[in-house]
Amino acid sequence: MEEEKFSEKESLKLITEMIQKAKHSFHENGTSAILWGSVIGIAGLVNFAELYWHFYIGFDVWLIVMAAIIPQVFISIRKSKQKQVVTHIEGVMDTIWIVYGISIFALMFYFNIVPGVTDKFVALEGTSIIQTNANGTTQPFHFFPLSYGSLLLMLYAIPTLTTGIVHKFKPMFWAAILCYIFFIISCFTSTAYDMLLNGLAGIFNWFIPGLILRRKFYGQKKAVNV
Amino acid sequence: MFKELDPILHAPLRLAVISLLLSVKEAEFTFIKEKTNSTAGNLSVQISKLKEAAYIDVTKQFRNNYPLTICKITPKGVDAFENYVKALQSYMHLNN
Repeated sequence: MEEEKFSEKESLKLITEMIQKAKHSFHENGTSAILWGSVIGIAGLVNFAELYWHFYIGFDVWLIVMAAIIPQVFISIRKSKQKQVVTHIEGVMDTIWIVYGISIFALMFYFNIVPGVTDKFVALEGTSIIQTNANGTTQPFHFFPLSYGSLLLMLYAIPTLTTGIVHKFKPMFWAAILCYIFFIISCFTSTAYDMLLNGLAGIFNWFIPGLILRRKFYGQKKAVNV
Repeated sequence: MFKELDPILHAPLRLAVISLLLSVKEAEFTFIKEKTNSTAGNLSVQISKLKEAAYIDVTKQFRNNYPLTICKITPKGVDAFENYVKALQSYMHLNN
């Protein structure tokens, strides 16, 4: 494109063409979605198996979620190095997923701290709550977060549904709707089944959409290189 | 009465750059070069003109020891683009 003057119609045509080109510059290879989908999927399913068949793998399986932060940091650094352009939508979506990550860890903090603090406040008031077991024995009652798996499911659905709507990406849209259905079901089920639903949510919300994104990404790349 | 077209924007490559940057948060020089099908030399000159007019912000960095130029449209650039489109519309109505 040399610097020559051109007509008004040509100007409008050029503006439209450039906006279209920018619009199609968003490419996601799905690596992060596959990582988090597999980690949440494994943690949920293993935790369900532990609770359902009464065994313990020797450590809290949800710790693998914390461990997944390390590869995610490398993925993010690599992605930012390869990225030639940041779209407005991409910037907003990145912010939504960061806020979601912070909220998940805030919720984990709540689950771990609030029951103990509640026990202390109850004791400070001079009240003691005694739990009577089915066999007639008694023990002090300790508070615990009620149906915490349900809260996690509700939180998973928020960024997933937003991404699905904004990017018009149906696998994430329908997975998020399914996640809200899982949330409703989990309000009526035991912790074991809540964990099963959490694992399934990880697979449907991120793992499967991540694989679809990956296939699309490499398909497009192959088409460009041919 | 129709508005005069902004001479800074009424040039194909500069208009292409501004239209592209309007649609994204920020873009690298190589991305702009690829999308506008321009040469590095010509693009550099046009980017400098847009920068002088304060229509875009240009940040120079290094990545893996290679220079990296990142361009971003400024609020002044957005206003100029909007005025340019309004002026274009008035021309189009006049010609119809």
